[in-house]
Amino acid sequence: MRNLMKEWLKGHITITIRGKRFERLLNLAVREGIQLWNIRRIAPDIGKCDIWIRDYFRLRPLLRQTGCRSHVERREGLPFWLIRLRMRAGFTLGAVLFLVGLYMMSTFVWRVEIRGAQQIPAYQVQQAAEKVGIKEGAWKAKLKETKVLQRELLNLLPQASWIGVELNGTKAIIQVVERQTQEPEKPLGPRNLIAKKRAVVHSIVAEAGKSMVRVNQFVDKGQVLISGVLGNETRQALVAARGKVEGEVWYVSNVSVPTTRTQYHLTGQQQELYYLVLGSYAVRLWPFEAQSYAQSRTTEERYQAGYAQYALPIVWKKVIQQEMAVEKKEIGRDEAVETAKRFARMDVLSRAGKGAIIQDEKVLHVKTENGKVYLSIHYSVIEDIAAEQPIVARPPVPHPSGN
Amino acid sequence: MKRWSRRLRHLAVGILDLPQDVVLEVPRITMIGHLQMYIENHRGVLHFTDQELRLLLTNGQLLVNGEQLVIRAILPEEVLLEGKIGGVKFLQKP
Repeated sequence: MRNLMKEWLKGHITITIRGKRFERLLNLAVREGIQLWNIRRIAPDIGKCDIWIRDYFRLRPLLRQTGCRSHVERREGLPFWLIRLRMRAGFTLGAVLFLVGLYMMSTFVWRVEIRGAQQIPAYQVQQAAEKVGIKEGAWKAKLKETKVLQRELLNLLPQASWIGVELNGTKAIIQVVERQTQEPEKPLGPRNLIAKKRAVVHSIVAEAGKSMVRVNQFVDKGQVLISGVLGNETRQALVAARGKVEGEVWYVSNVSVPTTRTQYHLTGQQQELYYLVLGSYAVRLWPFEAQSYAQSRTTEERYQAGYAQYALPIVWKKVIQQEMAVEKKEIGRDEAVETAKRFARMDVLSRAGKGAIIQDEKVLHVKTENGKVYLSIHYSVIEDIAAEQPIVARPPVPHPSGN
Repeated sequence: MKRWSRRLRHLAVGILDLPQDVVLEVPRITMIGHLQMYIENHRGVLHFTDQELRLLLTNGQLLVNGEQLVIRAILPEEVLLEGKIGGVKFLQKP
């Protein structure tokens, strides 16, 4: 393998030699140890060959000896490049300065990115980082090792449990992991727990306060379940009542379900339409003739070229139409009732709130009329019935019969 | 004396199994199709055009003719020739 790099560094020229004694010149040159290659004869008294620049000067006495004349055709290699560069000194200087500048600029921190700071304000992290030396325009070589920086930052920001510093090119990334502090519980004001619905108490657990009702007792809306007033008339203390009261609540749900069911399904037929939208006009470009579907689902995508907030007024729109078939199905009465029950259950559970359990379900009434099944269903649901009621003024001492 | 040395050399080739080109000072020619030709043990270029190359040998001449002949490289005893080589001919010294 030839060393192309070395050859290029040495530099060679292509010369034409005019003279009668070309062969004699060749022999002499070879004997002198001058390297010649790509030798050819162009005309009876003109030869052409390649030669190293250094050897060219050794060839000249031989030329004189054989009475030949040489003419340089082509120059190749680094030496000639250097000459050309010297001729365009300004250009060369500019290129070198650019590279030097680029390198210099890349040794600075240009951007500080703070990640993961949510509770700790970003400016606080920034200030701490500046104190350590990480700021925009800081020289990277002067910054300490990232491990040291991390430790110093952590000392300055005790709210963080870990801080990572990473220099990514000209960007300094500060990753903050915050300490998970438990939210202190809000001090609760004195309060009662009252019933939010008419119900029969199913279970009652008082964590704080005095329970005022018993299991299986009927309570009205607004009745105190767990009282926040402790003690007797002479010695009283107010606490925030806490606890869980579950009650059995009755609901009646009226549902109607049609006995025919309409179903849509895709047939698999679809077409894509392409539009060019100019302002309020849309021109369809493809296809030339669009099929029309009786029922279809249409999805639309818009592409708009632009940069930042500037956008071209031309919009490319693609519409996909998928054909749908309609199927009407007659469902039996039993199935309709089942469906109605399902809906009724969902309805009741949404009315009852979170954590509710349906204890009992009774169909009160079924009626088929005008292609619909009407149902009214009774539900007994066990749900949380406690609601909070702050004790504002000094209340009268509650007694078991209610407020 | 000269005849004696020639005889000795022939003997060496025969008995010691030496390559002939080393001993007898004749050219060793390697050809790659008609495209390239590598000639060792020459004694100088006598005539060169793009249709003919005439090389001097220890006794005699070597004549190569063809078209578009180019000497790719040349050293004191070696020549690398390229082009469409048509024929090779030895001219013995009379």
